[in-house]
Amino acid sequence: MTICSCLVHTQPGQGALVAAQLLRLPGVEVHGGIAEDTLVVTLEDDGQHSARDGTVVDTLSTMGQVPGVVHTVLIYHYDGNDIQTEARSHDHQPA
Amino acid sequence: MTISRREFIKSQAAIAAAAAAGVALPASLVARAQEAPMDDGLRWDKAPCRFCGTGCSVLVGVKDGRIVASQGDPDAPVNRGLNCIKGYFLPKIMYGQDRLTQPLLRKTDGRYDKNGEFQPVTWDEAFDIMAEKWKAAMKKEGGPSRVGMFGSGQWTVWDGYAASKFIKGGLRSNNLDPNARHCMASAVVAFMRHFGIDEPMGCYDDLEHADVFALWGSNMTEMHPILWSRLTDTRLTKPGCEVHVLSTFEHRCFELADNPIVFKPQTDLAIQNYICNYIIQNGKVNQAFVDNHVTFKRTAENIGYGLRPNHPLEQKATNSGYPDPADPTKKKGDPMGATEITFEEFAKLVAPYTLEYVSELSGVPKENLERLAAAYADPNKKVVSFWTMGFNQHTRGSWVNGNMYNVHLLVGKISEPGNGPFSLTGQPSACGTAREVGTFAHRLPADLVVTKPEHRAIAETVWKLPEGTINDKIGYHAVLMHRMLKDGKMNCYWQQCNNNMQASPNMNEESYPGWRNPDNFITVSDPYPTVSAQAADLVLPTAMWTEKEGAYGNAERRTQFWREQVSAPGESKSDLWQIMEFSKRFKVEEVWPEELIAKKPEYRGKTLYDILFANGVVDQFPYDGRILDDQGNAYGNHESAHFGYYVQKGLFEEYAGFGRGHAHDLAPFDTYHRTRGLRWPVVDGKETLWRFREGYDPYVKAKHPEVAKGDVYFYGNKNGRANIIFAPYDPPAESPDADYPLWLCTGRVLEHWHSGSMTRRVPELYKAVPDAQVFMNKLDAKRLGLRDGQMARISTRRGEIAARVETRGRNRPPEGLVFIPWFDASRLVNKLTLDATCPLSKETDFKKAACKVERA
Repeated sequence: MTICSCLVHTQPGQGALVAAQLLRLPGVEVHGGIAEDTLVVTLEDDGQHSARDGTVVDTLSTMGQVPGVVHTVLIYHYDGNDIQTEARSHDHQPA
Repeated sequence: MTISRREFIKSQAAIAAAAAAGVALPASLVARAQEAPMDDGLRWDKAPCRFCGTGCSVLVGVKDGRIVASQGDPDAPVNRGLNCIKGYFLPKIMYGQDRLTQPLLRKTDGRYDKNGEFQPVTWDEAFDIMAEKWKAAMKKEGGPSRVGMFGSGQWTVWDGYAASKFIKGGLRSNNLDPNARHCMASAVVAFMRHFGIDEPMGCYDDLEHADVFALWGSNMTEMHPILWSRLTDTRLTKPGCEVHVLSTFEHRCFELADNPIVFKPQTDLAIQNYICNYIIQNGKVNQAFVDNHVTFKRTAENIGYGLRPNHPLEQKATNSGYPDPADPTKKKGDPMGATEITFEEFAKLVAPYTLEYVSELSGVPKENLERLAAAYADPNKKVVSFWTMGFNQHTRGSWVNGNMYNVHLLVGKISEPGNGPFSLTGQPSACGTAREVGTFAHRLPADLVVTKPEHRAIAETVWKLPEGTINDKIGYHAVLMHRMLKDGKMNCYWQQCNNNMQASPNMNEESYPGWRNPDNFITVSDPYPTVSAQAADLVLPTAMWTEKEGAYGNAERRTQFWREQVSAPGESKSDLWQIMEFSKRFKVEEVWPEELIAKKPEYRGKTLYDILFANGVVDQFPYDGRILDDQGNAYGNHESAHFGYYVQKGLFEEYAGFGRGHAHDLAPFDTYHRTRGLRWPVVDGKETLWRFREGYDPYVKAKHPEVAKGDVYFYGNKNGRANIIFAPYDPPAESPDADYPLWLCTGRVLEHWHSGSMTRRVPELYKAVPDAQVFMNKLDAKRLGLRDGQMARISTRRGEIAARVETRGRNRPPEGLVFIPWFDASRLVNKLTLDATCPLSKETDFKKAACKVERA
C-alpha cells in the first residue's frame, strides 16, 4: 500500500475551493493549510491496485490540473508491504 | 490495530508536509500521531538524492533490510523537506525486477567469445579474463594508453578517487574520463580560464537574495525542480523580482517568465556580446571593479569543431590544436589560447553586436533583448544567471560559459549575495567527484593537472609513488575514447556508473563500432542490463546508491555523506570494491618499467592494491564490523568488511589532504556524517558561501592581507584578477539545409534521470512518461502531414529513429526545431547526434544537429 503526502500551492484565496475539488479524488485527504493557500494533502491508493498501476501518480497528475493549483511538491512516501497486507485483511478482500 | 498503523503513517506523512510548509495542522491530528502507542518501526537516516546536481537530502526509512519509505529531509538547507517526483520514488530505483546479481561474460562452449551469449561467472573468473585482456593490451605499442576507464559524475567521491589512483597512479594511463565530459566540461574550462579555480563562487542562498533571474539554456522546472520551487517563491513574494528565460524552444519555465526569449540555436554567443556592448554604450560599466579586478583578453579563433581531424571543417581550422598535416610534430595552434587586450579593444570587439544585428541574427525582438540587457546593466538590481546544458553542450561551450562571466564582471555583479553567474551541474557529484577528485583525462585531485610537473609531484608524494610515475600526457577524453576504440588504438574499456552507449553522440558511426570492434574488450559495471551492458563483453553487477557508503558534492560546493542502508542483491559489489579488488590482479612488475621500480625497491613484488590502498594511509582506520550513528543505530559497510579497514574514511582523509590549505578544504570525515553537508572551503569548521569576497571567504585575506573590507580578490589567478575574454559568435558545426531542414535538440524530462536505466524501472515514473516523443511545432507537423500521437521517422546523416509526434506537450518548439529526450532505450536519439565538440572542453553539442521528420 502506498501512502504519500504533498503540498499543493494554490492561487491566493483559492485554498478552500481547491481543497473541495481535491477531496473528490480517490484516496485524497486535506489536513490543513487552507488559510495559507498551501494545502497539506495525503494520498493513498485504495489497496485494490498495485503500485504498478500508478494510481498515486495519476492522482498527483490530476491534482496538478485542478483549477487554482499553482504547483505541487512532494514530501513523504511510504510503500511497505505490511500495511497492504494488513489493510487487505481488515477490508476482507478476497485473496 | 491495522487501521491505526495506516492512520499513524498517514499522520506522519501529513505532519512532514505541514512542517515543510510551516503550516499548522489540527491539534487532533498531531495528538493522534504523538499518542500513538508505536513508532513507525523504521530506521530513518539521511542520504543525498541519487539524481541531479541540486543535491537534495532525503530521509530513508528501512524495515527488514529494505527501504520502504522516504521523505524530503526537513533539516536539509537545500530542499527544506521538499522532494521532486524522481526523489519521491527514489528508493524504488533499487528494486527493479531485472537487477543484475552476478557477473556475466560472453561465452561460447565455456570460453570467452566476443560474439558469445552472456553467461554467469564468478568474480574470480570475471577478473581473470579482464586482467588477461588488460595486460595483453598494455603489451602493445602505446602501453598504458591501450586501456582506460569511463566513470561518472554519479560516482561517489571514493569510487572516483580510487579509479583515479588506480588508472593514473597505478597503470600510468591518463585514459580516465567521466560522463561529466558530456555534462560539465565546458563549465570547467571557463572557470579555469576566467578564475583559475573551478566551481561556482556563489551558492543556492542566491535564490532568495536576487532581484533578477536569467535562465540561459536551463530548464530548471524539470531539471532542478527544487531550485525552481525556491526561485518561484522569490519571484512570487519579492516586489520587483523578474525572471528572464532564454532557450531555443519554449518549456515549462516560460510559464513564469517576465521576459520570454526564444533565440535561434548558437546565437546565445551574440546575445551575450550585445549585452556587453549595451553596458559599455550606456556607460554602465562598473569602472572601479573592472580597473581593480579584471584583465581583458581575446580568445584564439578559427578553432574548428572537435570532429575527427580529417573532417573538412577541421582541415580549415587554423587553431584546432590538432597535429599539423604539413609537419605532424607541430600542432595547429591552440584553441585555449588568449591574448591580452585593453578595455578599449574589448569595447571595439563587441561594438558590432548592435541591437539591430543581434535581433536579426537571433530572431529575438529588440524589446526583449533590451529588457534583458537593461537588467544586467542596472546597478540597483541584483542578478543571478543560471545555466546548464544549453551552454555546456555547445561547440562553443567554453566560450558561451565565459561570455556570461564577461557580462557579470563588466558590471561587478559577482561573488556576493544575489549577484553572480551560476553554472548549475547536471549530476549529483559532477562537482564532488568528477571535478574535485580529478577524474578527467587531464586532471588530478584539487584542480591539479597531469601536464604540470609540480602538480604531478604533489600527487606522487601524497600517493607515495616514485617520482615520474604519473604520465604527463593527457589521456583520451570521452568522445576520443570511442574514436580510439573504433580505430583499435584503445583496446580495453571499463565503464562504471553510467550508460555511455546510450549517452554518447553519434552511436552508429563511433560508439557502437568502437565497442564491438573484435580487438576490444569492454567491461560494464551496472545494476541493470542497460544498452551499454548489452553492448559489452563482461558485465559486473553493481551495488548502487544506499547499498554502499557514499559521498557526493553538489553544484554549490556542498559535500554530503550517507551510510550503507541496505545490502545489495546477490553478488553485487560497489564500484569502489570492484576497482580495489581488480587492482590486486596487477603485480607492479607487470605495469611499471624497471627504472621506476628501482626508485622504490620496497614495492618490488607487490600488487597495485598493496601500493595504492594498503599504503598505511588508506588502511589506517580500523573497522569493527559495523558503523554506528549518533543514535546508536548500526549499519553495514561491505567494502570495509571485505578489506578489513574503514575504506571510505581512509580514502577520504588521504584525498582531503590534496585540498586542505589550498582553497579546497574539506572538514574531517566524521563531521559529514553528522551534518547535511558543508560548502567548501571549510576553514576552522566554517563553510564558505561566497568565494573571492572578503568577509565571506577566508582565503581572500590569507592571499591578499591588504584587501579592503568587503572587496573581492580572485586568488585563483596569480595576479588576483579575473579574466574577461572576448569570444565572438561562430556558426554551429551543422545547420539545417535543404536535405535536413530542421534543428534537432536533445535533452531530458522531469520524470526520468539521464538514460532512464533507473527511473524507467520505477513503475510510477515509467507510467508517467513511458516513451520519448518528438516535440515539434504544430505548423511543421501540419506541413509534414503529421498529427499528434502519430509515429514519425526522424533522421539525420547518421541514422534514424521513430517516435510519436507531440505538438501540445510541455515543450513548445518554434517552427524549424524539434526536441527529443534521450532517456528512452527503445528510441536511441544518439543515433542521430553529431560528435562535434567544443575544441576547448571536448564536450559534445547535443543540442544542434540537422534532421528531417517524415511520416513513419
